[in-house]
Amino acid sequence: MKRLVALFAVFCLSAAFIPAAGAAGNAVKVGVVADISGSAGAYGTSQKNAYALAADDLKNKRIDAGPNDVTFDVQDAASDPAQVISLVQKFTTDGSALIIGPTLSSEAFKADPIAVKANVPVLATSNTASGITAIGPCVFRDSLSEDQVVPEALGKVVAKWHPKTAAIIYGDDDQFTKTDYEIFKAALGRLNITIVETQTYHKGDVDFKAQLTQIASQKPDLLVVGSLVEEAAKIVGQAKTTGVSAHVIGGNGLNSPKFIALAGSAADGVVVGAAYFSGNTYSGNREFVSAYQKQFGAVPDQFAAQAYAAAQIIGAVVKSGKTTGAQICSAFGSSKVNTVLGPFSFAPDRNASAPSAILTVKDGKFAAFG
Amino acid sequence: MASLSQQLVNGITLGAVYALFAIGYTLVFGVLDILNLAHAAIFMAGAFVAFALTGYGLPPVAAAVVAIVFGGLLGIALDRVAFAPLRARNAGTLAPLISSIGVAIIIQGVVRGIFGPDQHRFDVGALSTVQLRAGPISVGALDLIAVGAALGLMLALNYVLLRTPLGRSIRAVADDRIAAAILGIDLERTIALTFFIASALGAAAGILIGLQYGTVSLDMGSRIELKGLAIIVLGGMGSITGAALGAFILGIAETLSVALVSSSYRDAIAFALMFGILVARPSGLFGKQKLRGA
Repeated sequence: MKRLVALFAVFCLSAAFIPAAGAAGNAVKVGVVADISGSAGAYGTSQKNAYALAADDLKNKRIDAGPNDVTFDVQDAASDPAQVISLVQKFTTDGSALIIGPTLSSEAFKADPIAVKANVPVLATSNTASGITAIGPCVFRDSLSEDQVVPEALGKVVAKWHPKTAAIIYGDDDQFTKTDYEIFKAALGRLNITIVETQTYHKGDVDFKAQLTQIASQKPDLLVVGSLVEEAAKIVGQAKTTGVSAHVIGGNGLNSPKFIALAGSAADGVVVGAAYFSGNTYSGNREFVSAYQKQFGAVPDQFAAQAYAAAQIIGAVVKSGKTTGAQICSAFGSSKVNTVLGPFSFAPDRNASAPSAILTVKDGKFAAFG
Repeated sequence: MASLSQQLVNGITLGAVYALFAIGYTLVFGVLDILNLAHAAIFMAGAFVAFALTGYGLPPVAAAVVAIVFGGLLGIALDRVAFAPLRARNAGTLAPLISSIGVAIIIQGVVRGIFGPDQHRFDVGALSTVQLRAGPISVGALDLIAVGAALGLMLALNYVLLRTPLGRSIRAVADDRIAAAILGIDLERTIALTFFIASALGAAAGILIGLQYGTVSLDMGSRIELKGLAIIVLGGMGSITGAALGAFILGIAETLSVALVSSSYRDAIAFALMFGILVARPSGLFGKQKLRGA
């Protein structure tokens, strides 16, 4: 045991000395709170993978942080709000310059105020609910919010199929899916599409036949799914068997290869308003996708891409010499970075300003829609 | 109105899902007077074993048979680990409850270690999408199989319990363990067989439900566990017929509350109805400890 402690001490010392011995660079520690396990584990795992890749790319200078040493301390919050809070607390006291996360919007509303109080800036990479950046003056996000993506996606659907009526099914006990519902409802109203049926479910439900039978009886032109991957996959599958013949559209929650893997052929034709398309041609994306695929055996989803983009944004800011929390917070506002999401900057309200991706599932793969 | 009759059909197929889970759940209670909270974990493990075997190319029926036997054996192991040592020390009913939670967590941990935390798609090709239509009503082939299996298993289990020597032993043990032992019934063997049957049924339920909804997931058991508990209380603890009937009542109540009231209150209405029934009949639909009286 003693030997282990000694080894650990040597390791820590060397880790502390190497960057200092290097050039005039500073060490920048980034604390990452991600739901790697638990109900949101699919999203957090993508994020963890992206930071592993970003750490490599920082070393080999594919992400250039200048002479500075950026490290990611990725911790699993296990989809448990209490653990999210304790991890954020830990990162506010352990010298982290910046906190990335947490994975879900509902967690962010509870945990971000702690970071705000401690003057540690937050960069959200997967929170899409409205009002996240309003939590504090140094809370940013690189994820497009649903109210940026949804109207654009609906607009494209209207231009193509001219729907007159719509039905909505959403989870009424989750911040994300509830926000999704409100945004879709408002956007449908602006486009003069009548909502003929609204149905709800609870997180973890597996049987949606009763709700979908009600929807089928109204024969809507459009079925809006305000849902996360696991439920959405079952909803689109059961929609087929309960006789819902409407075009299906969903938000960011559906934008994961996991949706197609779980729903199978039922996913074909579903339109998804999203923040990222792995087939995009923005600079560096192709390299990112192939490196990710090589290392993790899957195409990166938007959660991985947004996490990787966060590393690119942080790299650019740190390279310009801004290495403390306060410096990073003030530098974010004026930064313009080419990321895997496309040309990226922060809007004055600290939300993301980047191109969105409207996708459809075709032959078991995401493709550009329209 | 077409939609209302369709909703009734939806309710029956949903009830079949609950019934499959509840029948094995209530059997152990009827015999041992303990709640086996690892039933949901065995249900999940059975589904994962069948999923893995079909993944290796085994035909679905063969995979299901292996997984069901595996579930049964897991049940015997569960009894040996969690219940038998406590039974030998006359530990009452609370300690086994806790030890069964422990085993459930271990089973979940092992399955998570092997398959990861994600949901997996579980489908056996054509059968998963076959849809049968009669006029305005449509029902999936797998849904029909689930209803048939729920009713068939209920009848078969009742037959075994009422008409076979094994069933007689099980009922004797359920009625009075000590008297049964004095009369020469092998107590441990009978209990082991009870666990085998209950857990094999649990695994079969997991496989069918996994197929019906096209996925297997770590929490597929815990999601249905609470409803399963409500159903066996509603049916009368330990009553096989009561559990099946309670399951169909819950399924139909849930779908009709969506059709007639609102999906937001689906569970609330269904549970309020069950509460009402229990107020009227505190010992459940089929009285108390039906296994013993039967």
